[in-house]
Amino acid sequence: MEIAKDLVAASALPIVLAILKESDSYGYSIIKRVKELSSDEINWTEGMLYPILHRLEAQELIDSYWKESENGRKRKYYRINETGLRELEMQRNQWMTVHSALTQLWETEKH
Amino acid sequence: MFDLEFNIRSWSDYLRSHGSFKNTDILEMESHLRDEIDELTQNGLNAEEAFLIGVKRLGNVNQISHEFHKVNSDDFWKHLLVESKDPIESRKARTNIRLVIAFSLFAGTLLKVPELFGMQLIEDSSAMFYFKNISLFLFPFVALFFMVNHASSRKWKIAILSVFIMTAMIINIYPSYSPSNTELLTAFHLPILLWLVTGLAFLGKEWRSGRKRMDFIRFSGETFIYGVLIFCGLMVFILFSVMLFSAIQVDISRFTVEYLIVYGGSAVLMVAVYLVEAKKSVVENFTPILAKIFSPLFLMTMVAFLIAMLVLGKSPFMERDFLIGFDFMLVLVLALVLYVISSRGLHDKANVHDYLNFALIVAALIINSIALAAILFRLSMYGITPNKVAALGENILLMINLAGLAWLYSSYFRKKIEFQQLENWQTEYFSVYAVWMAVVVFLLPIMFGFR
Repeated sequence: MEIAKDLVAASALPIVLAILKESDSYGYSIIKRVKELSSDEINWTEGMLYPILHRLEAQELIDSYWKESENGRKRKYYRINETGLRELEMQRNQWMTVHSALTQLWETEKH
Repeated sequence: MFDLEFNIRSWSDYLRSHGSFKNTDILEMESHLRDEIDELTQNGLNAEEAFLIGVKRLGNVNQISHEFHKVNSDDFWKHLLVESKDPIESRKARTNIRLVIAFSLFAGTLLKVPELFGMQLIEDSSAMFYFKNISLFLFPFVALFFMVNHASSRKWKIAILSVFIMTAMIINIYPSYSPSNTELLTAFHLPILLWLVTGLAFLGKEWRSGRKRMDFIRFSGETFIYGVLIFCGLMVFILFSVMLFSAIQVDISRFTVEYLIVYGGSAVLMVAVYLVEAKKSVVENFTPILAKIFSPLFLMTMVAFLIAMLVLGKSPFMERDFLIGFDFMLVLVLALVLYVISSRGLHDKANVHDYLNFALIVAALIINSIALAAILFRLSMYGITPNKVAALGENILLMINLAGLAWLYSSYFRKKIEFQQLENWQTEYFSVYAVWMAVVVFLLPIMFGFR
C-alpha cells in the first residue's frame, strides 16, 4: 500500500513533533522510528525530513544541540520546546477531529 | 582500494563548495551518511557499495549531493576549466573569466597612467612611488572581483572601495623627508593592510564569522602559491620571447618590461584569485601540505639552534637588525601553525600535527623571549626610530598571538575547550593586526614627522 504524497507531507509535522516528545532524537533515528511505527509503510526520505527539521528549528518549535555518541560520532539532536508542545497539542486536536469524523463515516457505512 | 574516509571527505567538500549550506548542516548530513553506511555494511555490503547507496539516498536532500553522485570524483580535475553542464554554473564561469580579463587589463592600464605624469616604471626616481602604491593598483580589483562574485550589497561595495580611495589619497599626500624611513615602512605594511581589507570584501556580511575568516586564510595561502607558480610561468614566457627575437637581432626587452610585465603581472594575481575561487575545496589545498612538510624541519632547526646557543654560550642578538629577522621567524611559525590548523577538521581528535604545532610555538616563544630581552637592551641605548617601533610592535603582537595559541592548545589537550574556540580566537586576533598595520601606515609617519 502506497500512502499518498500529500498525506505523508501533511502528517510529517505532527509525527516529528510527537517523536521528539517521546525523547530527543536525531535525523537518522527519526527516519528509523517512523519506519518502525508504520511497519515499513511510511518511508521518509532524508530530503523530506531535514528541511522540516530545519524549518521547525527556525520557527523555534524545536531546539537542537550536538552530542557525541559512544563511537565518537557527533550528532545533531533535536528537542521539542514549550512552543513546540503547544503546536503539537493543536495538531493533535485537528487530527483527532479529522480522525473522528472519518471514523463515524466509516462506522455508519458498515451498517 | 576504496578509501571510505577520503570519499566521505570529498563528498562533504563538494557540498561545501557547491551549495549554500551552513557548516553545521553539512556535519549533520555527514553523520547521517555515516550512520547509513554503518547499517548497510552490517547488512553485508562493502564500504564502496554502502557509500554509493548512502550518498544516493541523501541525494534527494538537495540537487547538489545528487550531482556529486553523478560525477565521479576522478573527474574533479577536469571540472576546473571545462564548461560545466549546468547552464547557470557555466554562465557564472564565463562571467568570471570575462571579469578576470577585464580587471587585468584595467589594473595594467592603471599602472601605466602615472607614466603620463612622467613616472617611468623602470626609472629609479619613481621606483619608490610604484613600490609604495603597487597594492593600490592591484588589490581593489581583487576586492571588486569578490564583491561581484559574492553579490555583495551596494553599501558594502562603496564602503570597501572608499577605503581604498581614501588610503590612496592619504599615503600619497603624506610628504617624505630623508632618510624616508616612514615611507619605506608604509611601502612594506600597506600591502598587508590592504590585503586584510580585500579580506573584508571576500567575507562580506559575515566578516565576523570565524569559519569564513579561516576560509580567507586558506584562500590567501592558495592564491600565493598559485600566484608564484603562474609568475614563474610568465617569467619563462618572457625569457623565451626575448631570446627568440634576439636571434634575429630584434631587441624586445623594452617592450616586455613596459607591457608584458605590467599587464602580465596584473593578470597573474587575477588569474590566481580566479583559479583558487573556482577550485576551492574541489582539489586538496596545497598550502597545508607544504606546512606539514616543513613544520617538523623548522622545529628541528629551532631546537638545534637553542641547544647550540646553550652549549656554545653565545648570544647572537647584539645586532639591532636581527629584530626583523626574529619577526620573520614568528611570522613563519604562525603561518605554519595556521595552515596546519586550516586543513584540520574541527571535530578531529588531537593528532601528531597538533603536538608538533604546540612544540613549534613553544620553541619560537623561547627563542624570541631570549632575543627580545637582548635586543630591548640594545634598543634603549640608541633611542627610538620608526623602524624600531614598527619591528618591536610586530614582535610583541606576534608573541601575544603565539602565546595565546600555546595556552589555548594546552587547554585543548587537557580537554578544557573545544578546538573551535582556538580557531575563533586566532581569527579574531587578525583584527589586531589590521589595527596595527593601520597605525604603522597612517600614524607613525605623523608621529615621526615623515622622516
